[in-house]
Amino acid sequence: MLAYAVRRVLATVPLLVLGTFIVYVLVAVSGDPLAKLATCNTCDQSAFDRIIDLYDLDKPIPERYANWIVNAVQGDFGPAVSYGSLDAGALVLERAANSARIAIPAFLIIMAIAVALGVYSAVNQYSRLDYAVTGLSFLGISLPTFVFALLLQTIMIWMLDGFGWRPFYVTGMRTIELDGFLDMIRSHVLPVITLVLVLTASESRFQRAAMLEVINSDYIRTARAKGVPHRRVILRHGLRNALIPMVTIWALDFAALLGGSVVTETIFAWPGLGPLFISAVTQLDLNLTMAIVMLTSLLVITFNLIADLAYGWLDPRIRYE
Amino acid sequence: MTAPLLEVEDLRVTFGTDDGDVRAVQGLSFTVSEGETLAVVGESGSGKTVAALAIMRLLPRYARIEGSIRFRGTSLLDLDDDGMRGLQGDDLAMVFQDPMTALNPVITVGDQIVEAIRTHRDVTEAAARDRAAELLDLVGIPEPRRRLDSYPHEFSGGMRQRAMIAMAISNDPKLLIADEPTTALDVTVQAQVMEVIRRVQEATGTAVMLVTHDLGLVAGTADRIQVMYGGRLFESGDTDTVFYGSRNPYTLGLMASIPSAVGRTAHRLEPIPGSPPSLINLPEGCVFGPRCAFATDACRSEPELRVVDAATGHATRCHRADELPALIAARAAPREAGA
Repeated sequence: MLAYAVRRVLATVPLLVLGTFIVYVLVAVSGDPLAKLATCNTCDQSAFDRIIDLYDLDKPIPERYANWIVNAVQGDFGPAVSYGSLDAGALVLERAANSARIAIPAFLIIMAIAVALGVYSAVNQYSRLDYAVTGLSFLGISLPTFVFALLLQTIMIWMLDGFGWRPFYVTGMRTIELDGFLDMIRSHVLPVITLVLVLTASESRFQRAAMLEVINSDYIRTARAKGVPHRRVILRHGLRNALIPMVTIWALDFAALLGGSVVTETIFAWPGLGPLFISAVTQLDLNLTMAIVMLTSLLVITFNLIADLAYGWLDPRIRYE
Repeated sequence: MTAPLLEVEDLRVTFGTDDGDVRAVQGLSFTVSEGETLAVVGESGSGKTVAALAIMRLLPRYARIEGSIRFRGTSLLDLDDDGMRGLQGDDLAMVFQDPMTALNPVITVGDQIVEAIRTHRDVTEAAARDRAAELLDLVGIPEPRRRLDSYPHEFSGGMRQRAMIAMAISNDPKLLIADEPTTALDVTVQAQVMEVIRRVQEATGTAVMLVTHDLGLVAGTADRIQVMYGGRLFESGDTDTVFYGSRNPYTLGLMASIPSAVGRTAHRLEPIPGSPPSLINLPEGCVFGPRCAFATDACRSEPELRVVDAATGHATRCHRADELPALIAARAAPREAGA
């Protein structure tokens, strides 16, 4: 098990190198950082030289990448030019923490609701509630995120108009240190609800499918034939097996949430990774883009590894050698 | 004579589907006495497994079950879920066809047996484990105590079926229903598992209802045989009577299609032509009529199950039951002469 984990971690190294190389090349060839200076009247040759020196623009792309990765593995992702030359690594970590502030509670709520709805729907297949959950799930899957987000904001603004008061803030992040506990909650609720609405829909469908497969299996019938009470059949014999395929989905969804949600964070003016990534890409900020790519790749790889190890723990048929 | 252990009367099981009603079991009546072994034989789709599941009340909710099933005087179809659970796995136990899928893959064999015991008996975990080890020993699993902590995938098919049997008999059932217990196993293992069932029956005195498509398998085991076809009982009687004095063309067809390892192998096996009827669109008259070599115009009406020998309780569902021995002799004669 430990040897397997170590081997898996080592195997991520070439994966990361390959992944970042591809992104580096794509970003490097997608635009010229000097182009913006071309129309700048006040810029002299030294400004051009600074940019050329910063990105090694006088060297071939593979060499630029080599320089970047050597610094990156030492924790130096270079200055984020589009953000006042702040350290790109530190900036990304700070924004990642902000994304996590909504990603973690959203994910916990999603898991709880999706498991409950999925199991209930499967056990009561074709019941009214099953149809209701199915209908709402498809609504949730089909409607784009911004519809929910804007809808929630609109409701708050109606309330502000009608009652002169609204329970939750529609934009911006407030922290417990600066604004107190209540304001922190009031600013976090809407983005969290939006993320929950979007992901619960698909996750509950996966959970329902996994549970349906399990409760129609022979060993569930065996458990019933033993006279085991219904609840125990569902939870101990059914859910235990139906959670195994969910682990991969959770890992991928959680990694994606932590990597920042572009639409939700943008609409709620949340200072997370999502808006940062959009601005880094549109401003051709190579260092910032690469720092974000590095972090999101690490997240995906890490959570995949956790999922694989969790498989072995949940399913005795899987042994790591 | 006391009342039989299990009394099934006019059992009808119907599944509503989009294509029409599937009438899986049609007016099935039979009894099982304490300690006896009843073999229920028939092809796929003859309704034997559905009947077994109906007795265990393990059919899906959308199945319509009518008639009466009385177990030790209690009407099973009138019991509420809690009452039924009190019997399931206790006095009334079942072994399933496919041991590869019938055990929960993520729970150890020991825990699954312990669960069966502690669902019905108020004993400590340790006592239940001791009992589980005894049971594994009884069904012939070596090193039973160590094997308690194995997962089902660490067992071979035969061992899994032994473990299933151990689990089923953990509360000394009065009736053990074994649904095709050997079908999914290698031939060499089949005999071992049948031997385990026999040994278990000796040790616990349980009655066994053995559901199988394999007539050969039941010859040495069953006290009585019941042949089913198209959801109906076609013939029932003592094992010897059915084997040597069958009065039903379907039973005779089944026996003609058993390969024999000894004796004359000069003539070919005689399969029953055609395939079992669709349970949605049953043929008019005798349901076996379209496949029967002896069918006549009389067979356009459905024959009743009737007793041909009151002393042994031998009953058959065939219009021509009385002429059948003569007909068989007439058919066999040319072949004997030719050979």
